[in-house]
Amino acid sequence: MTIAEIGAALRSKKISVRELTEETLQRIADANPRLNAFITVTGVAARLRAAVLDHELACGVDRGPLHGIPIAHKDNIFTRGVRTTGGSKIFADFVPDYDATIVSQLNDAGANVIGKTGLHEFAYGITSNNPHFGAIRNPWDPERVPGGSSGGSAAAVAAGLVPLATGTDTGGSIRIPAAFCGVVGLKPTYERVSRRGVMPLGLTLDHAGVLAATVRDVALALSPIAKHSSGYRPVTHADLRGMRIGVPENFFVERIAPDVMLSFRAAVQTVAALGAHVTEIKLPDVEAINVAGRIVQLSEVSALLARYLDRRDEFGRDIQVLVEQGRLIPAIDYLNAQRVRTVLVRDFSKIWKHLDCLMTPATPMTAPKIGEMNVAIGTFTEDVRTAATRLTRPFNVLGWPALALPCGFSSAGMPIGLQMVAPPQQEDTLLQAGAALEDAFGIVGRHPPT
Amino acid sequence: MTNWKALAAAAEPPVPENLLPDVIPALEELEAALRVLERDIAPETLLWNGREDEE
Repeated sequence: MTIAEIGAALRSKKISVRELTEETLQRIADANPRLNAFITVTGVAARLRAAVLDHELACGVDRGPLHGIPIAHKDNIFTRGVRTTGGSKIFADFVPDYDATIVSQLNDAGANVIGKTGLHEFAYGITSNNPHFGAIRNPWDPERVPGGSSGGSAAAVAAGLVPLATGTDTGGSIRIPAAFCGVVGLKPTYERVSRRGVMPLGLTLDHAGVLAATVRDVALALSPIAKHSSGYRPVTHADLRGMRIGVPENFFVERIAPDVMLSFRAAVQTVAALGAHVTEIKLPDVEAINVAGRIVQLSEVSALLARYLDRRDEFGRDIQVLVEQGRLIPAIDYLNAQRVRTVLVRDFSKIWKHLDCLMTPATPMTAPKIGEMNVAIGTFTEDVRTAATRLTRPFNVLGWPALALPCGFSSAGMPIGLQMVAPPQQEDTLLQAGAALEDAFGIVGRHPPT
Repeated sequence: MTNWKALAAAAEPPVPENLLPDVIPALEELEAALRVLERDIAPETLLWNGREDEE
């Protein structure tokens, strides 16, 4: 069920928040041994809060569309009194004494916290194959990764365990798992959603956002957390008449798996059929953005994690490698990468003179198998991490809002993700385009068979 | 180009030998790419600060 459908059931008293909460907890109890999407389930607190939210509705206090809606928070987002591990052994027993701003905002909007979702260690990777808390599994095929780092959030939404989850995105960590699990994920504009109480990773690359089953559900969740929110909600059966949508003719359509490219091309035809003005566009140097972004990320993460090197053995091997790389990068290189970023942001921003929106595949391939280190795309073999992030990372470096939504399935039955990108602060454009596409595709909100 | 192996050995604490095969190639690749990009940075270019209106 969508958030709007659950809300209608609550308000018509077909179900109470308490019943909804019990059902949710039961679904998690049934599915989590198979998926490992949750690190912590907060059943006692969720039941208590459900009673309060029921009482409020009975008294005529309605907090809005999220009133009573079960929500899961990624476990690198502070929850007061509930341990927040960051997916790491080092923070395995860390219990914050305050809620992250995004948690407070969603609480105030009536959401009911059900638990904390698993992630790639320190949110620093894309497989969510966590050495300390176990591999999170993709609900569409448990032998495959859910993506990461917000893998638990995406798996939980995809499996229908919760309708809404939070995530964080430093190089694609909301959009990659959304694409691999067939759900919708929004990385808002840089700093549009507060990062207070979110464990930092890439100091100038981190974004907080949400994952849900539909674009419309994402719109409902964005409203209380976005600074200067318009409260925009996409209309039913919107068309895209007059919207200028750019389709890259370079980089984003190179080294793409055939299934993914087929779905992407079909999506381009769909936006054109919906009335959008589609323009092929040659983008400036995207490779350069990824180079600058990787140097910035390695340096910034190591500035945070190098202090724990005396507990090196408590890091997974992939994190050890990345932390060592980051601490060897000279300060001059970090600073010049940030200056390159300044130049590239200026160059790339020129595209918005002629476009409202950009569309690309979200990832070059579908979810790889757990433990796979390299992925073959056509005749090209690439490291899984580099491949998965190469289409998403540019928009962390640029700071632009980006939405991933499902646009098809591979021949193996795995979801394929589409990425829509807009100028800064133009999340409403993404939601409008995404909602029109989810109506047209007719696959958004579909859950895997259980 | 940087002698990453020497840098890794001189770091405090040093980078463990067994990690070097995974640590160094990416640094070499990124350094080579950055050296090319640096050439085009105008002297007055400032650090990225998250705002779009910087000129």
